[in-house]
Amino acid sequence: MPAAHAAERLAAVRSEVERACGLLVAPSLETLNLCQNSLQRAASELADCRFDWPQARLDPELLSHARRLRAEVVRAAKLLKNLASFCHGWDRILGALSGGYISGGGPAPVVRQGTVCCQG
Amino acid sequence: MSNLLSTLLSTAGALDAYTQVLNVTQTNVANANTPGYAKQTQTLQALPFDPSMGSTGGVRAGEVQSSRDRFAEQAVRQQTTLLGQAQQNVNSFTSLQALFDISGGSGIPAALNNLFQSFSAWGQSPNSTVARQTVIQNATAVADAFQQTATGLARMAQDTTQQLQEAVTQINRMAGLVAGYNKQILNGDRSDAGLDAQINSTLEELSQYVNFTATPQSDGSMTVLINGQTPLVIGDQTYDILQQAVPPDPATAAYPGAPPHQSIVAYDGADITSGITSGRLASLLNLTNSVLPNYLGDASHPGDLNDMAKQFADCVNNLLTSGNVSDGPPPVSGVPLFTYDTNNDTNVAMTLSVDPSVTPDQLAAITPGPPEVSNGVPLALSQLSNPHDTTFEINGASYSEFYGSMATRVGNLLNDATNELQVQQSAVAQAQNVRQQLSGVSLDEEAAILLQFQQGYEANSKLITVLEQLSQDTINMMTT
Repeated sequence: MPAAHAAERLAAVRSEVERACGLLVAPSLETLNLCQNSLQRAASELADCRFDWPQARLDPELLSHARRLRAEVVRAAKLLKNLASFCHGWDRILGALSGGYISGGGPAPVVRQGTVCCQG
Repeated sequence: MSNLLSTLLSTAGALDAYTQVLNVTQTNVANANTPGYAKQTQTLQALPFDPSMGSTGGVRAGEVQSSRDRFAEQAVRQQTTLLGQAQQNVNSFTSLQALFDISGGSGIPAALNNLFQSFSAWGQSPNSTVARQTVIQNATAVADAFQQTATGLARMAQDTTQQLQEAVTQINRMAGLVAGYNKQILNGDRSDAGLDAQINSTLEELSQYVNFTATPQSDGSMTVLINGQTPLVIGDQTYDILQQAVPPDPATAAYPGAPPHQSIVAYDGADITSGITSGRLASLLNLTNSVLPNYLGDASHPGDLNDMAKQFADCVNNLLTSGNVSDGPPPVSGVPLFTYDTNNDTNVAMTLSVDPSVTPDQLAAITPGPPEVSNGVPLALSQLSNPHDTTFEINGASYSEFYGSMATRVGNLLNDATNELQVQQSAVAQAQNVRQQLSGVSLDEEAAILLQFQQGYEANSKLITVLEQLSQDTINMMTT
């Protein structure tokens, strides 16, 4: 893949990850769905990038794009991790409230049965 | 008639409940942007309806509930602590980077390059007084550059100590505020939303400085523990922390003359430095106890800048003193060029200078051999720029490369801190948004509540009109 094309692809991937980060900063059910789509697009775009890495490492512009993408991915990872941690915390509280505590002292797992799904 | 009156009373009770709902809504709207404020909700309780027992139903105001979510508050504080740390890191490392020029145009690298060039020029004209004088001038510039960098680092260490003191003062001040709020709560202001907002706003400010846990107690007060262990506020009592400078122990320290180590001490004298893991305070402690000692040294090592200054000065002095100024007889040995504090290895860069008594004709150019080489010493000195011998290297690198590695380390620290700052800004915004969703005031929701209760008021007023008419009709019937 030519370096200029590769840089464009990396910029496109970063743009998708940036969009995902923007959505993760203000999370809601809708934005989380959109975020998932953005991240999937970024992942597939990145998978399509076939670089000759030893050669690409010598190109400072491409390297700069890669570094900025990495920084953005780190940001997305942190935001996802924080959200997951927040939800996990709530899940533990819900478990303790609904099922009490297990012998080890932790909250009981939340049992999700008989879920009703309305469509249409 | 009695039923009419009880219905009237019930309606009046409903109006009272609605008034309280509207008061809470008004408070919510007025404090929508108040830091630390959490939306309040006026609960309503249905009254029993049993006409046979004279219970006419109705509604009355229940307790006012706060929508504050402790979990969301904790998440915001946690991320704010990391943001405070990242901001402090960026500020500190930006100042640190300014002391290390990597362009080669100034500071130690430029001075070293000039000195190496003057060694080469001296090698081409070993008997030239001008070339020797240039060597002395450039060596003085190298010593000055080391001194300036060391002085800059030492000044930064002093500034950091002062910032540590200020951070500790701020932490104790905010602990005092929380204790004051706790006192008001313990005195009975337990359901005051404004007080609750002030406590949480203060805790959020405090979270920039240090990692702590805040736990509401059954009496309504907030207990604050640094690192979840060391008391800072319990009830209306504060437990101030202190900053202390701990000099190296002469009995155990390899370098007893090194700068002191900064520590944070709890109210009971316990050293809690290791428990301060995030926030501005942690960043300042890391800078003063880990980052700066890498260059200026501490009790266990002399610091890279001192190491470099000492090895460079020793290397130049050894080459000069191994050579001869003249063949003699008797041959006259060269003199050392650099001097420094030989009693304190952590003070070498700060005291490095050129011996003012050295004159150009005292610089030795001749290596006695055999074979004797008339410009052997300057040639050997000029090789310091690109050494082929490990004795002219420092940690397997040339002096310029070693300096470059020090500067790169600072650059990497700043780069990492800048990236971390960007990530943390997003993380704090995320946590604040989640909190806003859970406990923030939504003006749309409040407007909907206002409309809902406006209609309730109208329905009630119609009911009162009907009741009034019924009462009047009843009175008329009784009097006619």
